[in-house]
Amino acid sequence: MRMSRTKQVFLHVAVVLMLLALVFPILILLFNSVKTESEIFASPGAPPRAITWDNFRAVLVESTFFTHLKNSVIVAFSTVLLAVIVTAPAGYALSRFKFRGRTAFSMWLLATQAFPGIIMVLGLFTVLNVYGLINRLPGLVVMHTSFALPFSIWLLKGYFDKIPVDLEEAARIDGCSRLRALVKIILPLSVPGLLAVATFSLLLSWNEFFFALVVMRTNASWTLPVYLARFQGSGGVVEWGPLSAAALLVTIPVFLLFLVGQRYLVSGLTGGAIK
Amino acid sequence: MKTPKAHAARSLVEEKRALPFLLPSLAVLCFISLYPLIQGITRVVYSYRALTRKTVYTGFENFILLFRDPVFLRALGNSLVWTVTSVAVMFLLSYILATMLNSRYLRFRRFFRSATLIPWALPGVVVSLIWRYIFLADGPLNAALAGLGVTSPPSWLTDTNLALWTCIVANSWMGLPFVTIMILAGLQSLEGEILEAAAIDGANYFQSQVRVVLPSMKKVILIVLTLETIWTFNSFDIVFVLTKGGPGSASMTLPLYAYQNAFMYYQAGYGAAIGIIILLILLSVVVLYIREVLR
Repeated sequence: MRMSRTKQVFLHVAVVLMLLALVFPILILLFNSVKTESEIFASPGAPPRAITWDNFRAVLVESTFFTHLKNSVIVAFSTVLLAVIVTAPAGYALSRFKFRGRTAFSMWLLATQAFPGIIMVLGLFTVLNVYGLINRLPGLVVMHTSFALPFSIWLLKGYFDKIPVDLEEAARIDGCSRLRALVKIILPLSVPGLLAVATFSLLLSWNEFFFALVVMRTNASWTLPVYLARFQGSGGVVEWGPLSAAALLVTIPVFLLFLVGQRYLVSGLTGGAIK
Repeated sequence: MKTPKAHAARSLVEEKRALPFLLPSLAVLCFISLYPLIQGITRVVYSYRALTRKTVYTGFENFILLFRDPVFLRALGNSLVWTVTSVAVMFLLSYILATMLNSRYLRFRRFFRSATLIPWALPGVVVSLIWRYIFLADGPLNAALAGLGVTSPPSWLTDTNLALWTCIVANSWMGLPFVTIMILAGLQSLEGEILEAAAIDGANYFQSQVRVVLPSMKKVILIVLTLETIWTFNSFDIVFVLTKGGPGSASMTLPLYAYQNAFMYYQAGYGAAIGIIILLILLSVVVLYIREVLR
């Protein structure tokens, strides 16, 4: 089957149009972040005529941006670390052992996705309260880790399945324990899988809003998404210029990491979910 | 020869081996997932009385109130429309986009595929803020419409008939990359021979899509539809930032209404009742999925 010349042109036009629809809203954000407030509403959506850095200055100098940035960085990176430590052994167990209840375990993982946020947050609120973790970062870290768990375990199981068992069996004959075999042999071979898990849990934690909104109740404990949602200009009204600058500053760090990590995430997700 | 007893003993060995590896996950799942779930559910039998400022046991009262509450019924209907429409739009557009991205006649395929993923990296709150600006009465969309000669463009976020649909547009945009990438992976795993065989049998493009491509991607499609249905139903960010459920309760969804009750009106029990309804709906989605997969 060959595709005619006109159809090929049409294909490219259609793809470019769809991608414009996916990218244009982000361009608007970019434009607004360097426009003055009056220009934002004088020519909405258009490229800026003159570039101003005042919006960025306002966010970085006058607001508590760096407090929230620190909170988000701590929560996201702790979540990544904890997620990898917790899910790597579980993925290994699902991949290597034929234990009873492994189907039930997988189903349970799927079911956790269906648990409504409101119920979880009401229950977690009680739990965190007991341990004095309301408004505290560790409380949010354990929550985000539990959300990252199901996908991360599936991802890693899929990855470990592809590593031949012979490798670790040779090591085990030499007197290596299972755990040592996992750490010394399997994990170094699974770096792309671990990067997929890291990218996934980083995005999840950095972007998570609902639980952070409910559990982080003091201004100083807000993570970046909560700060953005509560963003107010000086007069109590939304100022789109500074808000766009802030939104961009929130997005850029994780976006850069995403650019590096996306191919691992994509191959991990698609490889694990299809087979 | 394997006796049943020997078989049982062998598999117990497997369980003993697996347990230490599963322990950290099981601990997280029990303490951060199962226990809070049960704890949250039990809240439904209590109500806060503003008059006495006390939380008292009220049995099933919260459930009974639920079905007399017009806002809840509105939110239930909205949530169904919101979920079904968003997932349908996402699936349809993603299917078209993935098919195009899979074409061997497309140049710069790698670049286009990476570009598709961009919205995936954006925080939900940022996505919501962008779309809120786009849909403002004096925002870029209406400016463009005015440029096209539309005399009185609608106010998307404050029109009772439009607010929910506006939110659906933003949500579909955000979900598109994940669905596209999963479907694309499904298409890539298909063997070319299947399609060519269908072509030789005289199937036209549409027939071969419906009869051959869709059925052989059943597994991917099922998991994507299930996950996206659950995530969209539970989604909170977009409606919260775009309309806060307004105007009135025109774009109210169940998660937002549950949040407002629990954390703005101090009715945690009522919020829990709404949460239980969400849980029942979503667990039935999961059960449907599992039955389809095990069939």
